[in-house]
Amino acid sequence: MYGKRASQLLKDQACCENGQFTPFNSDLFDQVISECNEHSLQLQSLIRKIEEQNLDMQTTRNEDHFGAVIHHLSLVRNKRCLMAYMYNRAEIIQGLRWKVGPVLPQEMQEKLNYSEEEYFKNHSAAIEAYMSELDLDLTVDMVPPKDPYIRVRVLDDIGEVCLDDHSISLAKHSLHFLRRTDAEPFISQGLMEEFLE
Amino acid sequence: MPGYYDMDDILMEDEPISVVFQVGAHGCGLLDPGSETIDIEKGTKMDLPYWLAHQLHLRQAVSISVPASFSQKTRKEIQADAACVDLKGRCPYFYELGCKVAPLVGDKTIGSFLLYAFTDRYKEMLSKSHSASAVPRFSSRLTKEESQLFQAARSSMAAFKKWRTGGSRLEKASILGRKRKRTIPLGPSSP
Repeated sequence: MYGKRASQLLKDQACCENGQFTPFNSDLFDQVISECNEHSLQLQSLIRKIEEQNLDMQTTRNEDHFGAVIHHLSLVRNKRCLMAYMYNRAEIIQGLRWKVGPVLPQEMQEKLNYSEEEYFKNHSAAIEAYMSELDLDLTVDMVPPKDPYIRVRVLDDIGEVCLDDHSISLAKHSLHFLRRTDAEPFISQGLMEEFLE
Repeated sequence: MPGYYDMDDILMEDEPISVVFQVGAHGCGLLDPGSETIDIEKGTKMDLPYWLAHQLHLRQAVSISVPASFSQKTRKEIQADAACVDLKGRCPYFYELGCKVAPLVGDKTIGSFLLYAFTDRYKEMLSKSHSASAVPRFSSRLTKEESQLFQAARSSMAAFKKWRTGGSRLEKASILGRKRKRTIPLGPSSP
């Protein structure tokens, strides 16, 4: 059935839509592209057939015409599916810079294909250039702060980190009183949590 | 009007619709897995996805019949007890497809039928989304649109409860998943 593979591609993406991310399915993606090539060849041969019979392309409504229409529609459909796949992934990737930070964890990195990695890097660089122009980190304080300092619990061994003017050792399970803007990237990466009494 | 990149719209257009070809078409035999030639004869019956059926219908190449999801049988079931009908099993994009198909088949009753089904099921869904703590069994019967509404109602209720009790406002990015779980329950260590 025409267009089945392309919609399968989107179904895989859509079924884990609740904020999760699937690896780039390059196998299926390439299959859809070769299906497109097949449609294109069939379409051309049908058009050639109409031309050989010396019929007018604009007004002819014979079997060949409808065959060509079906191949044309399938091509357009496949294109839409592929575009939507890339577009929706690109949107998620843009969001990663805001939610996770400029460096992606290994398991996330593996899910991107080469062009998506480039896209992430370039998008990241664009945001960073803008932020340095403003001299303001836009990715922190996504939730309006109540207090500039918060208590946090470290969930993983982070090690020695240089914050502002002093360095601090962030060992697992230790509690710290940090500037909110310093703690926020660690919390969004899942390395710390806000400590509430 | 849904956008070009709208995933739900694309997947909805994949729903099968049974059509009868009013013309022949050459070189498209792959559409019908059972066919032996590569040509489609006039009068062939087959199921085509909506995106193809709709466009061919505009060109008067096929005639469309009302999909089974909107048959008299389904309507009787909905009239009996709308909330108990498994619409997801019939068609996960029940309402969206109904809206698109209704003008094509010229059946004026589909519109009011969809409205009736939606309003009747909506009441049930909303009250359950606020009261139930675990995901209830009936959520597997909801169409895509209904389950999005259901999730929205649940998450706004959860956000409201969290706001009232004053929980942590900073959280790990949800896209990283919940893999990193604490293995041992920790007593509060000294700062």
